[in-house]
Amino acid sequence: MKLRNFPGPVTPAVALVCRLTVAAVFLYAGCEKIIAPQEFATAIYNYRLLPDWAINVLAVTLPYLEVLLAVCLLVSIYVRGASFIAALLFLVFAIALTINLVRGLDISCGCFGGLTGSISWFYLVRDVALMAISVFALLFDRGWSYFFTR
Amino acid sequence: MKHIIKIKDKPHKINLNVIVKESLVILVMAVTIAVAINELRQASLPLFGFDSTKIAGIIRTNIPKITLTEAYNLYRQHKVVFVDARDPFSFEEGHIKGAINMYPDEVAFRLAQLKAMLSAESIVVTYCDGLQCPLSQETAQALQSHGVAVVKVLADGWNLWINAGYPVTKGQI
Repeated sequence: MKLRNFPGPVTPAVALVCRLTVAAVFLYAGCEKIIAPQEFATAIYNYRLLPDWAINVLAVTLPYLEVLLAVCLLVSIYVRGASFIAALLFLVFAIALTINLVRGLDISCGCFGGLTGSISWFYLVRDVALMAISVFALLFDRGWSYFFTR
Repeated sequence: MKHIIKIKDKPHKINLNVIVKESLVILVMAVTIAVAINELRQASLPLFGFDSTKIAGIIRTNIPKITLTEAYNLYRQHKVVFVDARDPFSFEEGHIKGAINMYPDEVAFRLAQLKAMLSAESIVVTYCDGLQCPLSQETAQALQSHGVAVVKVLADGWNLWINAGYPVTKGQI
């Protein structure tokens, strides 16, 4: 196994870093939520955006979706789909954060598990940055095979 | 260097079919895995059973306060377990003797350790540092929502305790 195409050309290498960054974020966020699903359900409820019947469904499925996305991005399987869903998730999170920042609610972010810090504009900026990183990975990532040869 | 593939730094052609197909596979797999594991695990959530009135009740319930004297009397009778809701570094520097360190978001996975310390007669008292500190209230609420029956907050607990000269210790627990 030999390394090739690294560190240049620049774009695929940057895309690789983007892909791994998103994977790490989702892996951590997903695991934290899986540990305490009840707290995460409460955090979702606090956003006051979903009806009761949808809250536990989301609290149960979203963490596993995040971990699965992380695995796909790490091992480079279904990267297009995974980075697309990742960008979509960050967009949805950004909308939810914006609505509640405008409403002025002082609620837990729920970004990395249930009882984390209160929402702020910093979280929104971080979320939009992660969305941009996901889109970059979607457009430019070339998978592990691009960097390694037998 | 001959075998290095030359590429142009242009984005891939966006093939919507591939994206949709891969996304659907990932979504179906995630939902299947999530529902299956949720059914198997002990701390499972009822999929459509979220009750906001119950949760709101827990959130809005103010946890009863306890005075320093009451807390110390219970401490002397070994009828209290103190939960230090401050950060681990502050805890290591000094805490009420016998206290356990538990941040609000740690309650779920440290509950068993706390329950092992509780006897039939003992209550849980949370504390942090300063009157404005919300951590003792948040940890108490999390404990209550996890089924710990009697939880009280010692407001400004660390300051009061140390100023009164009551037993403290250092290090991790």
